[in-house]
Amino acid sequence: MHETRPAKITSPITTLNGGHLRTAPVALIVGAIGIGVAIMLSLGSEEGLKRFMFTYLTSFCFVLSISVGCLFFVTIMHLTRAGWSVTVRRVAELYAMCALGLGILFIPILATVISGSDMIYSWNQGGWTMHDLTAAEKLEFKTVANRPPLEQMKYQFLNQNFFTIRVIAYFLAWGGMAWFFLSNSLKQDKTGDKNLTSRMQAFSAPLMILFAVTVVFSSFDMEMSLSALWFSTMFPVYFFAGAFLSALCTILLTGLWLQKTGRVTDEITIDHYHDLGKLMQGFVIFWGYIAFSQFLLIWYANIPEETFWYNLRINQPGWMTLSILLLVGHLFIPFFLLMGRGLRRNRKMLAFSAIFILAMHWVDHYWLIMPQMNPEANLYTLTGMGIVIDLACMVGVIAVYIAMFCMIAGNRSLVPLKDPRLGEALNHEVH
Amino acid sequence: MAEENKNSNTDENSKLIGLVAQFDDPDSLVQACDQARQAGYTKTDAFSPFPVHGIDPALGIKRTILPFIVLGIAVGAVFIGLGMQWYTNGGSLGEFSTDESPVFPGYRFKISGKPYFSLPANIPVTFEVIVLSSAFATFFGMWFLNKLPMLSNPLHRISRFKRATNDKFFLMIEQADEQFDRGSTEAQLNEWGAVSIDECRRDLTDNNLPSWLRLFALMGAILLLLPPVAIFRAMGMTSRAPRLHVVPDMDWQDKSKTQTLSPIMMNDRYLFADERVMRAPVDGSVARGQLDADTELYQGIKSDYVPTVSLTTPQGSVRTGLGTQDEAEAAPPVEDVSMYITEFPKEITVDEALVKRGQVRFNIYCAACHGYAANGDGLVNQRAVALAATGKAQWTSAKSLHDATVSNAEKNPLGRIFETISNGRGTMGPYGAQIPTADRWAIVAYVKALQETGIKPVVAVSDDESGEGSEANDTGESASTPEDKTQPTP
Amino acid sequence: MATVNPILDNTYDDAGERSPLILGGLDYAGVTDEVCGIWEADKPPKIWFVVLGAAISLLMVLGGCVGHLLMDGVGVWGNNNPAYWGWPIVNFVFWVGIGHAGTLISAILFLFRQNWRTSINRAAEAMTIFAVVCAGLFPGVHIGRVWVFYWLFPIPTEHLAMWPNFRSPLLWDVFAVSTYATVSILFWYMGMVPDIATFRDRCTTKIGKFVYGLLSLGWTGSARAWHRYEIAYTILAALATPLVLSVHTIVSFDFAVSQVPGWHTTIFPPYFVAGAIFSGFAMVVTLLVPVRKLYGLENLITIRHLENMNKIIMATGMMVGTAYGIEFFIAWYSGVPYESYAFYNRAFGNYWWAYWIMVSCNVMIPQVFWIKWCRTTPWFMVIICVFVNIGMWFERFVITITSLCRDFVPSSWAYFHPTWVDILMLIGSFGLFFTLFTLFCRFLPVIAMAEVKGVMPRPKDH
Repeated sequence: MHETRPAKITSPITTLNGGHLRTAPVALIVGAIGIGVAIMLSLGSEEGLKRFMFTYLTSFCFVLSISVGCLFFVTIMHLTRAGWSVTVRRVAELYAMCALGLGILFIPILATVISGSDMIYSWNQGGWTMHDLTAAEKLEFKTVANRPPLEQMKYQFLNQNFFTIRVIAYFLAWGGMAWFFLSNSLKQDKTGDKNLTSRMQAFSAPLMILFAVTVVFSSFDMEMSLSALWFSTMFPVYFFAGAFLSALCTILLTGLWLQKTGRVTDEITIDHYHDLGKLMQGFVIFWGYIAFSQFLLIWYANIPEETFWYNLRINQPGWMTLSILLLVGHLFIPFFLLMGRGLRRNRKMLAFSAIFILAMHWVDHYWLIMPQMNPEANLYTLTGMGIVIDLACMVGVIAVYIAMFCMIAGNRSLVPLKDPRLGEALNHEVH
Repeated sequence: MAEENKNSNTDENSKLIGLVAQFDDPDSLVQACDQARQAGYTKTDAFSPFPVHGIDPALGIKRTILPFIVLGIAVGAVFIGLGMQWYTNGGSLGEFSTDESPVFPGYRFKISGKPYFSLPANIPVTFEVIVLSSAFATFFGMWFLNKLPMLSNPLHRISRFKRATNDKFFLMIEQADEQFDRGSTEAQLNEWGAVSIDECRRDLTDNNLPSWLRLFALMGAILLLLPPVAIFRAMGMTSRAPRLHVVPDMDWQDKSKTQTLSPIMMNDRYLFADERVMRAPVDGSVARGQLDADTELYQGIKSDYVPTVSLTTPQGSVRTGLGTQDEAEAAPPVEDVSMYITEFPKEITVDEALVKRGQVRFNIYCAACHGYAANGDGLVNQRAVALAATGKAQWTSAKSLHDATVSNAEKNPLGRIFETISNGRGTMGPYGAQIPTADRWAIVAYVKALQETGIKPVVAVSDDESGEGSEANDTGESASTPEDKTQPTP
Repeated sequence: MATVNPILDNTYDDAGERSPLILGGLDYAGVTDEVCGIWEADKPPKIWFVVLGAAISLLMVLGGCVGHLLMDGVGVWGNNNPAYWGWPIVNFVFWVGIGHAGTLISAILFLFRQNWRTSINRAAEAMTIFAVVCAGLFPGVHIGRVWVFYWLFPIPTEHLAMWPNFRSPLLWDVFAVSTYATVSILFWYMGMVPDIATFRDRCTTKIGKFVYGLLSLGWTGSARAWHRYEIAYTILAALATPLVLSVHTIVSFDFAVSQVPGWHTTIFPPYFVAGAIFSGFAMVVTLLVPVRKLYGLENLITIRHLENMNKIIMATGMMVGTAYGIEFFIAWYSGVPYESYAFYNRAFGNYWWAYWIMVSCNVMIPQVFWIKWCRTTPWFMVIICVFVNIGMWFERFVITITSLCRDFVPSSWAYFHPTWVDILMLIGSFGLFFTLFTLFCRFLPVIAMAEVKGVMPRPKDH
């Protein structure tokens, strides 16, 4: 009964069509201004540069999780030989490729570690197992042998050199994976060789293992080790759940934006958005499941080695508000926003939900990172001018990220042109 | 193909329900449905062995309201689930309970320091209640909306229709439809590609339930009522009959409880003069493995020692860890240190294995208070000292075994260490009952090895040592971990 | 019967087209004939009687053990200080884990539109229910006084005058497993109604007509009914998916909310779920390979179906392996001596043998599925899957026993010894499982005919 669309690209414009030449410089300038404002304001604040570095790390982890999530999207779609997602896969490939660029954005953070400062990672200098140290004690703890046994033990893992090596390895691994998928996919645009798809499928399985290992340890390194004493085996899963969720939102938003500006108008259909919306709802629930399980286990067992981390986030007045905001805003509201076929097939509602979830995801990273800056301070001591710092930095980092996306996208096609499963994707229908 | 044309739709035996046309493949069915809808038929239905894609718009089927029913039930279940847990564990409605109108009280008890109503712990059950209710709503709601189960359906009387659940596809146009006309509808169906057309007729002659079924149903219903009636009757009345014993050997065990009267009677008198169920051992009898005449091995006291002054014998005084300092001070024991042996008993071979064994036993039994390095900084001690500082507990600090009073071989000979382990000292409890003799000597050997290697406490602030009651005070700043242990060389 | 297509291999990998799900050129009637043929045969194959006989013998062993247990108390098990949770909970978690594949295949793969699930979901769902029955048996008899089991539920009674403690993870288990069993049965039965209607319409005996007629609820295959049915099926799938995750999550809470080293680790929920899927799929493969051979269902349950399942086994096996690794790393990284010791002890302590059986069966042996021959050769994959299930039993054994036998109080450390009742009950539970499964194969549709027909290419496309 229904017509079958031929596996052909019919949109008049399938690239950014020079848009990157306009957007990228503007985004870069906005980024520079945002970050600059954040640095200036934080220098004037009580904590000084530390204030900026923490909020920078927050926004950095936010955009990084998008790239990591997109990388997972690409890998899992190849692993499962998915047909429906072909037309949105290129966008994910491009975002995944940004991971390599994000390695450059990580340099300021890495610099604090290499310079031996404990501005961000307190383990970089001794004394984090104790409460406040005197200056003389701090000096003494600079020598590893003088530290308490627990610190000495953890120093084997958390030290400048090993940390640096690991971080470089993560970005190389992600960049390499993203490049593998993007380059083969671009090659297929030219040749239409379906063996390239088979090749990517074959490699997606071992690459998935690499992905799992890097995500596990990068989440430990970049976020969990901010509180060097705390540990939770669930943490990587928590990071991953948020990352994939935000990647889905980003892919959806990018698709809507591209189509609104007259690009790839025919290839991405409402059915693709419908499916992305379903996945978003699924991963909203998954995030809630992981977050709740992690909390419940630590809350119930009530072991002081673990509870102090949640204690900080729940029993401090400001952070408690944020925790409740996450519960409501990251779980309940998106769950109902994406409930039902009507809402999932409405572009405006989907766009709103995606932006809302992304905002909440930024709050999620804020909640993970910021309390570690000064465990004595509650949220309210950070607000005021602090809000401006956070927002300026967030706008700046996201602008740089958009510029990065535009530059990588360049004049490349935004949909795979000759994927063997293109027809399947074009004829995709959600019942 | 077509059956013979009947002028009337209803005769005395049967009533025409509709026409059922057969198609051989799903696509022709969808096409026919589409044409039927366009021709203005509304009371139509299609039958297929599997859900045919595209038939919903072709027949003009509206989306079902089932999801909304389920959503409503699910939202209700949130409150039912949480309310049930609040009421049973955290609720206090019992306070409103009176004799006239009893209210089941909430069963409030503290478990692992959690509040009566603790939301995180109540989420899992709430979730399960939501899922269960929604699943029931989906399952039963679907059958209800489909008007199933239906015990009898005239369609099943058509022999060709049996393949509707196998490989054929059918379209029915009902006689109740306004457009329906016996002749023209059949012609239309043929035109749309029907392979064959059957009449679906309801049999009017045989639509009563068989009489035996009524009788059976009535009897079944009565029989089903009997068990609950019996249960309710039993619940509402008292009984003089003895209760049912499901596991007799648990209810009647072949034993007498300790310290009770003897159940054995002879001539209205208890069998035993003391009337007790337990028998005291015959004077002078020694239980197997409990002959501990060798005082050197079992008490650490020289075999040739003759008490010269009246002493409080170590065995006689029962000390527990709960004893307070006051009691210890009230009765300072007079002690003749010379009675203790200064060498290991001849049965004990001091070698590396013994010290190793001693280390294992020490770490199990002693380190909790005295610390792995015997500095007196065990975790129990640290915690108790901290609690004592806030006045929440009374505690005498565990002693550092490197303390001069302990390590001095003259003041504290081997036998005395052994005696201390066996019977306790000061507020330390006795361990004689828990640790076998040989192991106690092994601990003595290990303690001496620790003292010989001279591991000094990291932080040791000693109070005035003015006698047995006062213990060295080690505030135990540093956390001791197993890695701190130093292997002593015997 | 349809003509036999000489090409019986659909495991080739061509990105340009999807390989067929059904082989042998079967049409709709062909599918019906193949599936109904099992039940319409005058007599089941001889091997069926042999399996049923063996299973019933084991079931009787189980019955004897349960009787012995009820009469003499739970002391007949090896559970004793310090391992108060011995084999019963190991067996419980083992069977509940196996019971996850069915709902996963039916619900999650349905939501992900994995059409290949249609050939295997019915048998997997049945297996789920039978496994949950086996699982429920162990905690059920563990409560000792089984005749007052209703104390587990919040039933207002005056003579009891108390309620269950809803803050206890064991009570969460009661709710989770009973909800899971109920929803699984609803899901299984609902999916089966159209196929039972097929049986009804082909049945020739009077008893069969009556029973299948009653069970099929008067299903006609009406498009309006199908419409609501499909929506209801989707809703049930969407409900069953978080449910299946929640069940093993709550089982993992039994362990993880405690403070026992080796039990209290936050990754337990997803790690238990991955392990459950792992063992469940292994059991499905173990059952379906002989079933397809015995009943000649090679055209419906193709090698590709088996290959896909083996890939999932390998993937979940590696998830489990990753979780082992994370646990080990964090045990060291945490710097908590008890935690580090618990894991050191697992690998190198008294129970090293159990630990290494677990690691080799769960992580190493499934790696052979990287090789295509291994994952497409039926007899070989059955061997691997049996190893997987042995490994998963040992995983639960390692978690339960090693941690309990090396608790915080070293003076009570001990070595666990099962009794003969423990061993016979584990073996006997397989009797219960296989008795139910063998009967299912004979009397109910083994393959979801309606669903297979729904994903077959339409005749006009040829």
